[in-house]
Amino acid sequence: MRKLLSLLLALCLMLCAVSAFADVAADVEAGSAMSHDELLAKAKEETGKFVVAGNTSRIADAAEAFAALYGIETESNNMKDQEIYEKLESTTIDMVMIQDGANLLDYIDAGKLYNFVPAAVKDAIPENDQQPALIHQFINKLFIYNNKGDSVPAIKNVWEVTDPAMKGNVIFKNPTTEKVNMNFLVMLTSDAWAEKLAEAYKAWKGEDIELGEYKNAGYKWIAEFLANVTFIKSDTTIAEEVSQDTAAGKIGLFVLSKLRSSSVLTDNLTVAQYDATANGYTVAPFSGFMYPMYVMVPAAAKRPYTAMLFIEYLMSEEGFKPWGKNIGAYSSNPSIAPKEGDLGLDIWKANLVIEDPNYILDHIDVEDFITLYCQ
Amino acid sequence: MNISRMKGKVRAWFSKPANVILLVFLILLTVLTLYPLITMLLETVTVHLGREARLAKLPVGSKTLFHFARLFATSENKYSWITFYQPLLNTLAVSVSASAIAILFGGTVAFLVTRTNLKYKKFVSAVFTFPYIMPSWTLALFWETFFKNVMIGPKTSNGIMASVFGIYMPEWFVYGGFPIALVLGLHYAPFAYILIGGILRNMDANLEEAATILKTSRMRIIRKITLPIVRPAMLSTFLLVFASSMSAYSVPVFLGSPVRYYVLSTTMKSLMDSYKGQAYIVVAVMILFGVGILLLNQAVTNSRKQFTTVTGKSGQISKINLGKANRPIALLLVLILLLVAVVPLITFALESVIIKAGDYSLSNMTLDFWIGKDTTQWLDQGDSTGILLNPKVWSALGNSLGLAVTCSVVAGTCGILVGYGVSKRRGSKLASWVNNLSFFPYLMPSLAFGAIYLAMASGIPWLGGFLLMALAGSIKYLPFASRSGVNAMLQLSAEIEEAALITGVPWWKRMIRVIFPIQKSSFLSGYLLPMVSCMRELSLFVLIVPTSNWLLTTMLMQYSEKGWAQFGNAINLLIIIVVLIVNFTVNKLTGASIDKGVGG
Repeated sequence: MRKLLSLLLALCLMLCAVSAFADVAADVEAGSAMSHDELLAKAKEETGKFVVAGNTSRIADAAEAFAALYGIETESNNMKDQEIYEKLESTTIDMVMIQDGANLLDYIDAGKLYNFVPAAVKDAIPENDQQPALIHQFINKLFIYNNKGDSVPAIKNVWEVTDPAMKGNVIFKNPTTEKVNMNFLVMLTSDAWAEKLAEAYKAWKGEDIELGEYKNAGYKWIAEFLANVTFIKSDTTIAEEVSQDTAAGKIGLFVLSKLRSSSVLTDNLTVAQYDATANGYTVAPFSGFMYPMYVMVPAAAKRPYTAMLFIEYLMSEEGFKPWGKNIGAYSSNPSIAPKEGDLGLDIWKANLVIEDPNYILDHIDVEDFITLYCQ
Repeated sequence: MNISRMKGKVRAWFSKPANVILLVFLILLTVLTLYPLITMLLETVTVHLGREARLAKLPVGSKTLFHFARLFATSENKYSWITFYQPLLNTLAVSVSASAIAILFGGTVAFLVTRTNLKYKKFVSAVFTFPYIMPSWTLALFWETFFKNVMIGPKTSNGIMASVFGIYMPEWFVYGGFPIALVLGLHYAPFAYILIGGILRNMDANLEEAATILKTSRMRIIRKITLPIVRPAMLSTFLLVFASSMSAYSVPVFLGSPVRYYVLSTTMKSLMDSYKGQAYIVVAVMILFGVGILLLNQAVTNSRKQFTTVTGKSGQISKINLGKANRPIALLLVLILLLVAVVPLITFALESVIIKAGDYSLSNMTLDFWIGKDTTQWLDQGDSTGILLNPKVWSALGNSLGLAVTCSVVAGTCGILVGYGVSKRRGSKLASWVNNLSFFPYLMPSLAFGAIYLAMASGIPWLGGFLLMALAGSIKYLPFASRSGVNAMLQLSAEIEEAALITGVPWWKRMIRVIFPIQKSSFLSGYLLPMVSCMRELSLFVLIVPTSNWLLTTMLMQYSEKGWAQFGNAINLLIIIVVLIVNFTVNKLTGASIDKGVGG
């Protein structure tokens, strides 16, 4: 009898230990109110390797610097969103950086990911950028064109890239393989963007848009844009290809930060929005799109406090350096200025399409329409 | 009385190692192929978290036939047509053409090498297996970098053909169904070469001699005697290449995507991201094709008659004298082989040292992507050191080698045991079940096989990482080993083992001391083929690898998708060099070779 009791007790203790261990939600809540020193102390109590995964290659530099700063053994993995979701189920990851906001909402609702906003930056960051998930940075994909030859596609209106004469000259990554590209196109079918596109059409053609079978101007633009597009498998390759001397007349819609690579012939490229800002015009109604990179703590994290410490670090000027040292990355922390020579986040927010995860989730069926025109 | 007799019978049955082996493998293979299959089928009716649940408007985890209706019968936006039927048709077209190309090319070369006095035979037969040893995307990558030009595809830059020779190939030649089929056909041509060549080499000369005596013309002999004899081998090749081509993933990605040419494997991969249920249905369809092929193969070859091509009385076959045509044919062949097997390596070396794409001048070259300490000055992303100084690359190389060795040891040993069991109990139902089960994994497309292991592992917390990959690899490559195991055992006369049996030598000692040494080179071939295949495997592991940086091949795929061309090319070259070194070291040390493994 006594044996049985002690066995039961041991079992209870073990269960308690497990549930306490598993209760990352409570840790995250407690961590939200902690100062830097408190977080650090708690993180130092945790043991084992600290594992982070992110849909950005720069996470390796950030993790390395973090490890050196605090003496915490850190492993970083550069994975695509879907890989991260997949691995959340099977392996331990303590912190994630994810792009596709639409999927993220479902994972937050399902209790697989938790949002953590460090007390140190809570007041500084706009409310919109910390709920439902903290945004670490914005990344922009812009219309960038080759400026060689006689037929430079210096666009001032996005309808210009739908001109049949531009067929094959527009380069983009296949939206069916990269969700942020898909999200951008889905956003265009919203009433707000469709209206702006219809206005832009009128400004371009001088007459009202005729929709035909399309539900709104957004659908029409998507169909005609994709008909002109050639897909290339990565944004790095798009940047390199569009910048070639042999690529006159080509325009791409790709990540601005790819211009940092010296394998890209940057002198041959013009960023549409840079030109617009310098010469005082606007590209109607947008010059590209922008999407956030979110930072989150997985429910299965084994080192939640270290994860929170890392997120706090990433939100600081020091932690943003791996991205901020180049153009094309914008911290959601207003005290961190963009790279010199780049434009400010306010200009980008005014000129780019920004994804709204809720709208995208409510309009999943639009993806079929887009997929059709990717064939 | 009766019971004790029964007991005695059972005991006698179990006292034979062959019976025990077969029983163990029957259970093991059933569990490891059928169980994952069932979990996978369950996934096709389950609602998964994310876009899938939103679209189906059903709670996560509930059971539904929604995915089937969506994939097979959604006419809105032509969804089913573009996600399933069109890719299916493309897959069939590509696989059939690839098989035809493999047979035509491999068979012709096999005929020239075995039945004529062709020059440079040694070189031809040594280099011919190269394309199979190299990863299949090698040729695809080469094809694109070599032939791309500003008239086609994204129309932005020129490859070597256009920039150096000024020749602009048309789009159908560079991208789409034609190059995919051609590249796969060339990659699998060694199958045809080995299978058909094996029969031609060992064919009974009497048949042809009789015809010669009756003054039959050469062409007529080939048409009426040689072709009918190799027909079963041609069919086997056709089916093997068909099954392999159907699951090929990287080749269609490289050569199809730029012109929006999709096949089942590529749509399956992209469905896997957001619509798992439908992705698993595509997997099921691919497996159905595999099963169909197995049944067809059995029906046509009439329960694997291919063992009977070697007779005891095969005399020296007279070789056809190619005469004046000899040198031109030989040179053409050497040229093709150089183009397929050697030029790609040079291209990779070149592409891994240039800084700006398309500029092949010396000033645009650097060894930094191999040995540089800071590559960010050239390509400011990816890794900051050359691959040979990058610890990630070395650890991936270690993992790849470790996995390959593990898979080859497990698969190779199991193959010998299966071979022993099947040959000792030949003709029994049990033996034929085990034989078929051990061959079945071959017909499951690699990507599909990886997918069902992924589905199975998601319910078993301790099954993951290395263990999962080693398990998947060992089972997937078992057919190579079991085939060479069965064939080697069938050649062994029973009295060899009986002699040892009479003197009371225990079973394990008979295996190690008697049987293994005699058929050493055949058995070792059974180890070599899984090892080589595993080293260059991508499709099988792409879904179950812990992180992309874990294996060299998945790392390469990631780099290539990200567009870090120089690193990608360097790693690709590294993989090929390692595989070639492994292959030739094993070959020189033990006499084992790929030909024996595949051909049997």
